[in-house]
Amino acid sequence: MEDITGWWDDFFWGSVAVAQIFVTALIMTVLFGLIGAAAKLSKSPVAKSIASGYTIVFRGTPEILVLLLFYFGSAVTLTAIAQIFDPEIKFIDIPPFWAGSLAIALIVGSYATETFRGAFLGVEPGQVEAGRALGLSGLQTFIYVRVPAMWRLALPPFGNHMLSLIKDTALISIIGMQETLFVAEQAIGTTGKPFTMYILVGVIYLGFSTVITLSVMMLEKYANRHLEAAR
Amino acid sequence: MSDTGRANAIEMENVNKFFGGFQALKNVSLSVKVGERIVVCGPSGSGKSTLIRCINRLEEHDSGKIVVNGHELTGAVKDIDAVRSEVGMVFQSFNLFPHLTIIQNLMLAPRLVRKSSKSEARDTAMKYLERVKIPEQADKYPSQLSGGQQQRVAIARALCMNPLVMLFDEPTSALDPEMISEVLDVMTDLAREGMTMICVTHEMGFARSVADNVVFMDYGEIVEMNPPEEFFDHPRNERTKLFLSQILSH
Amino acid sequence: MTFDFALIADSIPKMLMGIGLTFQLLFLSAVLGLVLAITLLLMRISGRWYLSVPTMVYIYIFRGTPILVQIFIIYYGLPQLEFVRDSIFWPILREPFGCAVLALTLNTGAYVSEILRGGVLGVDRGLKEAGAALGLSARHRLVYITAPIAIRLALPAYSNDVISLMKSTALASTITLLDMMGIARTIVAETYAPYEVFISLMVIYLVLTWMIQRSFGWMEKRMSRHIKVEA
Repeated sequence: MEDITGWWDDFFWGSVAVAQIFVTALIMTVLFGLIGAAAKLSKSPVAKSIASGYTIVFRGTPEILVLLLFYFGSAVTLTAIAQIFDPEIKFIDIPPFWAGSLAIALIVGSYATETFRGAFLGVEPGQVEAGRALGLSGLQTFIYVRVPAMWRLALPPFGNHMLSLIKDTALISIIGMQETLFVAEQAIGTTGKPFTMYILVGVIYLGFSTVITLSVMMLEKYANRHLEAAR
Repeated sequence: MSDTGRANAIEMENVNKFFGGFQALKNVSLSVKVGERIVVCGPSGSGKSTLIRCINRLEEHDSGKIVVNGHELTGAVKDIDAVRSEVGMVFQSFNLFPHLTIIQNLMLAPRLVRKSSKSEARDTAMKYLERVKIPEQADKYPSQLSGGQQQRVAIARALCMNPLVMLFDEPTSALDPEMISEVLDVMTDLAREGMTMICVTHEMGFARSVADNVVFMDYGEIVEMNPPEEFFDHPRNERTKLFLSQILSH
Repeated sequence: MTFDFALIADSIPKMLMGIGLTFQLLFLSAVLGLVLAITLLLMRISGRWYLSVPTMVYIYIFRGTPILVQIFIIYYGLPQLEFVRDSIFWPILREPFGCAVLALTLNTGAYVSEILRGGVLGVDRGLKEAGAALGLSARHRLVYITAPIAIRLALPAYSNDVISLMKSTALASTITLLDMMGIARTIVAETYAPYEVFISLMVIYLVLTWMIQRSFGWMEKRMSRHIKVEA
């Protein structure tokens, strides 16, 4: 235990970095998921095939591969472009924070596409018809009838997506992001206690996933409060 | 009609059953003689299903005594399976095993519990399939049969264990109207052959023609029990009269 | 920007040399993980708290922490502990391959046991009651009624987990193993050509994913032949 003293604040800031990546990636994930679902549900065959391609590629490729491809690929491209202007430049990269968040958002977003699509299809057509019959416009039915119903159906699987997201943030350490695993490696360098440090990282992540799981449970309860009342 | 010399197939004394705070059975006492046919009726929530489910211990009673074919129902595990093998049950939702063919459904329990050989079990199964008049369906899967056919298979499945008592839990309630009579016919034949039966049902025509006694349950209690002529034509209790007027007026 | 096809043609065979290792990791972890999952499931549904509670804690930990961290704890962390170095398992735990298989097994075991549990819970209560009413013992009911139906219900989710497992094998490259991912990384480090190498590797993984999906699709079809056969 004493080995960890002196490292507490480093691990704290590492955890903060994890949280920042998570929030950033989460926003992008929802975006990609909604766009993907909309594309799959649209009438345009082009949109449908692009969205299909998107889900197939990102669900079938190892996360670490996507991450490395993004990071090194974009670095190589950026460096090549920069060298046109200034041949002295050796290496430019997208900060690991952004390359990493984008990569994991794209990956989990491909799963979210399927989830949102399924949730959207799960809305009872009868409810939508009732909305239109009452005179609600297309947009109003979407906002007040479709979205609330959809969200309720999507919540449990989306909770799982959030858990995947938080766990994928650990991979970003591989491209140099200074989050908890990175801190752990430095701590191991000076203390020589890999077991202690990595267990601590595990505990930190367990804490994060617990918070997420509890939040999702509360959200589910809130979303289904109308069903509870009927009991 | 009633023969006091016959043994009791089932004896229930002061049985109580609670689900949490709700009392499903209140001091229920009932004796069923060998060969007797009982129909149990009553409004939903009256405890009729709970009553028969306690007999084969799908529900455990909280107090009182239940004796089935001479075995008292307690917590001892070994006895339960043995008792159940002597008591056949037919469910409202048939509950045929979807991953097995009809004949496999019938052969499963005899082979596992009675340790019958494959050919013995098959012969018994075909015999009962013919009894319920659908031998040609033997190799089909339950999903390929109509509701009425599935329920008849369910009856045959229970009979393959050669039970001493048959319990029916609203056997026709989940069937389309045109299939009800084919199932009731099978049950009537069974009764004529002397099977001890307890049947929870709303089919009053069946009760009139087959039952030795009709039992009316309400709010967990047995309110009235009489042979059909008296039960239907001269009900004694106000609650029985009310119930009969509600269901017979349709 | 040019695409160096010669490099792709050169790299693919090299990466495919790693496929043997990828498959070994996949099959060993899948089989051992399944055995572990069934054991965990039986403990979880045993009804005895001293079996089900530790199981739930185990599953919680392994599903709540990143698999990369689990790999690091086993490979880098365990050697810190003296009793590990002295134990009979040391020859296995010293090698990156043994550590990778162990980590993947422990991880997939937790996920698969929950998937199997979902299948078991999906078996209609009425069917189990019918079995009980016929006098079948609890063990008979589990083997002849619950298990066949549960397996069929769990198959789609299980196939997804096998695909996840395959993607996770790529993480073995982080602990020096030269599976396909490991070889790809060394090629990129030498040639600075992330696009060519990583994209071709992506294609290989997509083919593997497709093969796994086809196999499971065939299995699902076979197991569902008794459902609603259009006679």
